[in-house]
Amino acid sequence: MIDVDLKPAPVLQSNYVSQRLANIVKSTLRYIVLIAIGIIMFTPFILAMIGTFKTDLEITAFPPKFLPEVWHWENWTRVWNTDIGQGGTFPRWLFNTAFLSVAISVSQVIFCSMAAYAFARLRFAGKNGILNFMLTTMMIPGAVTLIPAYVLMTKLHLINTYWSLILPNLVAAGSIFTLTQFFKSIPKDLEEAAFIDGATHMQIFRTVVLPLARPALLTVLILQFQSIWNAFLQPLLYLNSPDHYVLNVALSIFQQQYKAQWNLTLVGAMFNAIPVILLFFIFSRYYIEGVAYTGIKG
Amino acid sequence: MQNEAKNPARNGTVVAFFVFIGIVAVILLIALLNAPTMGGPRVMATLQTYLTEVRETAIPYMVVVGMVAIIVAFFAARELRKVWTNHRRRTELITGYAFLAPYLIVTLTFMIGVILFAFYISFNDYDIFTRPKWIGLSNYAEAFQGFTDSTKRDFLQSLYNVLWYTIIVVPIQTTLAILMAVLLNAPIHMKQFFRAVFYTPSVTSSVVITLIFVWFYLKAGYVNYFLQTSLGWVGINFESVNWLGDPRGLIQLIVEAFGGTIPSTQWYFRGPSIAWMAIMFQNIYTTIPTFMLMFLAALQDINPALYEAASIDGASSFQMFRKITLPMLRPIILLVVVLGTIGTFQVFDQVYLATKGGPLKTSLTPVFLVFQEALGINGPINMGYASALAFILAVIIFAITFFQRRFLERGTELY
Repeated sequence: MIDVDLKPAPVLQSNYVSQRLANIVKSTLRYIVLIAIGIIMFTPFILAMIGTFKTDLEITAFPPKFLPEVWHWENWTRVWNTDIGQGGTFPRWLFNTAFLSVAISVSQVIFCSMAAYAFARLRFAGKNGILNFMLTTMMIPGAVTLIPAYVLMTKLHLINTYWSLILPNLVAAGSIFTLTQFFKSIPKDLEEAAFIDGATHMQIFRTVVLPLARPALLTVLILQFQSIWNAFLQPLLYLNSPDHYVLNVALSIFQQQYKAQWNLTLVGAMFNAIPVILLFFIFSRYYIEGVAYTGIKG
Repeated sequence: MQNEAKNPARNGTVVAFFVFIGIVAVILLIALLNAPTMGGPRVMATLQTYLTEVRETAIPYMVVVGMVAIIVAFFAARELRKVWTNHRRRTELITGYAFLAPYLIVTLTFMIGVILFAFYISFNDYDIFTRPKWIGLSNYAEAFQGFTDSTKRDFLQSLYNVLWYTIIVVPIQTTLAILMAVLLNAPIHMKQFFRAVFYTPSVTSSVVITLIFVWFYLKAGYVNYFLQTSLGWVGINFESVNWLGDPRGLIQLIVEAFGGTIPSTQWYFRGPSIAWMAIMFQNIYTTIPTFMLMFLAALQDINPALYEAASIDGASSFQMFRKITLPMLRPIILLVVVLGTIGTFQVFDQVYLATKGGPLKTSLTPVFLVFQEALGINGPINMGYASALAFILAVIIFAITFFQRRFLERGTELY
């Protein structure tokens, strides 16, 4: 991180005081703008969070009141105890979402790092062809595979099973690409030493490369966890029985079911938002590196 | 082991033969899964009924795939036999493909297989439950019928909506993202904190953000309240607007303000509707932070010596921004513009939750239309038509990506 100092070096003593004054004004202005943007970015979450404690009437009252008369904590327990039948309960949806996010992100880290190792370190016929093929598939819009994949899932009897979401997401070209770039940046010396000592590729991969690549693996893990947690279109198509809803899909049902009871819908929304926001604040370094990296190189 | 040492070449041939059989079998299995047949519970009841259906409808398809599989497997087997005697090259080949196997199998099944299926289906009348019926290019022709018949304008309207979306959203989000990145790149305390706070809207699920904004946009919501209060201070009486239900277009509003009208047959002159612009605003809010991070990363790569040299020459901050920062960011700006454009073609969640394409189709997007046609939400299931739309969309996106590549390369070679 480089902090660029934009101010020209003071040349004359008489200029010096006014220069410093200008700088103070400038940096104060800067902080005011920063805080203002920060408030704008966070306001929807804060208003929604406060909204979860309002009554049914307060939530759509006009003009709206910033704070509720009485803080209705029971809205949260009401949502937690939601039961729409056929096994559709709130804890179940939370579990579905968490389970799928963990299962898919872990499997991606395993399978994508294997593929990335092959691309970054091994020399074999057809490698460049497959790599180019992979880069091409990254440009295919999701809409093209949406319908036929749905047909395939119905044929395989996988609709309304976790497999329908797990199988197509076992690997992701984007993650493979990120990891390949990272593996290439690791010096080869250690691996070559291990190879001369008679280690197999599997051993080198597991004991040398993976430990060195931990930051990149964590980045992929977190970004994929977040993207599955936030996925909507695929689970909407594949997981459409109440006991298999993920939170996002359940929320869209909430919106229809609770119509005017926005306080309850907002509780559901907060249940969905808080875990990813917490995760993000804990691991923000990896997020930010990941986004900046994949964005520029991908 | 001993046997291998004695006669490695012969062993290689045997293994190559089994590899050949294995590859053909895997590819045929994947093809079988994606064979263009009808679905439905009756056909899919057992493997037997499905195989009967494949035999009756998809034999030519299986033959073509089979030939491709034999060619691929032949080259793979030949390569394996060639490197068999060289220990190092052999292990690299086997390990390489073993490590790539999960990727290859998943991609062939859930991407290539299904795309071939969709391509075939796009020339058919298909609703899963009956056999695909070949109708040639009718599906593609139907997509553009809106040119002559304004009741069938759905797809054209969705492209029209996306066009407005791009014109309005992309410049705004790019500009704001650059400004925020520059602000964060300045010497400030608690940089990490501000960066994290700014980025929060982008980590949250679009479903959550959309629901919050639908609530804000209610007639009795915060947006109307905010506008009423703030405009009230300057003495303007603001009439509450039903943001997500108002089909009046931007150009229409301007024309009507001068006393004119635009009939509904000339929908293409009405401009983006209020509902559509409300969705745009919400989307800008969620996409800015991602792009901001990209710009921030690019800003940190700019050589500070450039700024030092400029400040010695007495350049002002604004001059430095215009003459150094912007030119250095050019490749990223183009990338962000193109990513933003591609993203707008694929807007779905917001439309599904907030407006369902309405009012008066003014917030239809191509992906939402594909979804609607494929599931038969407004009428019969129409998988063939939906696939055709998806392919037209893919061609448009590929074209944009292609132009991006060319512009990008031209942009970067300058520096």
